Amino acid sequence: MIDCREAVGRMWVYLSQGLEAHDVEELEDHLGACQRCCGELEFSRELRERVSQAGAAQVPPTVRDRINELLAHDGQPGESA
Amino acid sequence: MEAGALMREAAAPPNAGAAFADMVAPHLDALYGYSLRLSNRAADAEDLLQETLLHGLRAYGRLRDRDRIRPWLFTIATNAWRDRQRAHARQVSTVSLDAAGTDDEFSLFATLAIEDPFPYSDELHLDFLRLFGDEDVQAVFATISPVHRLPLILTTIHGFSCKEAAAILGVPLGTVLSRLHRGRKQLERGLWEYALQHRLVKVGDDDD
Repeated sequence: MIDCREAVGRMWVYLSQGLEAHDVEELEDHLGACQRCCGELEFSRELRERVSQAGAAQVPPTVRDRINELLAHDGQPGESA
Repeated sequence: MEAGALMREAAAPPNAGAAFADMVAPHLDALYGYSLRLSNRAADAEDLLQETLLHGLRAYGRLRDRDRIRPWLFTIATNAWRDRQRAHARQVSTVSLDAAGTDDEFSLFATLAIEDPFPYSDELHLDFLRLFGDEDVQAVFATISPVHRLPLILTTIHGFSCKEAAAILGVPLGTVLSRLHRGRKQLERGLWEYALQHRLVKVGDDDD
């Protein structure tokens, strides 16, 4: 079975759907037997969720207006090569 | 529509910009967020977003699968940002990007358990995350080296798989995996150090 260090190293990749099926199986076997790593996986989920929330943004309306203006103007026939 | 009008439209689409604007509208917030996390400044983020969309407008005739517009736009944004970085490269020292660093072994989860900043909490790790406002998380995020921040942004904030992130960044999957790992470690250490520096937590031997 893989050890905790290896399991922890795979967690974020696991959460980003980057692990091969065999590696997932090994990780899940480990998680089934290791409460500590289950805690760390849960923490990884929470941390990623926190980062995701903090990283979300909305285009300010003024920027959106400028962009629409820019695209409408740039898309006119003869304006761009 | 009469044949003449169709011909004219094919030759010079009068509303290419508006049609493109409609196509990208559902992705604008995400692209703006990506630009913000790349450049860390609102003014730069707007410039980068505009540049991305102008590139996109000129190139979208070559986008074969319209369903792939989201990763396609992120790829353009990434390349536009890299071009900008290159233009400023003389001011930025380029250190070895994938060399092993001191962050590799740091574990926030373990550090919290050992330092135990909330002795009476049964939600120690969650309590720690609750200390951080959005600006705090963003400030820590900005300290992560760009090459390691990119895969983190794409997978964690924008929900791309590691494989999709590799395609967007134009690097092998293995490179994304190792950079994601190092980015994660920098984030974990960054959050802990930020919490200490800003006195969000107080640990045992910190008595000044």
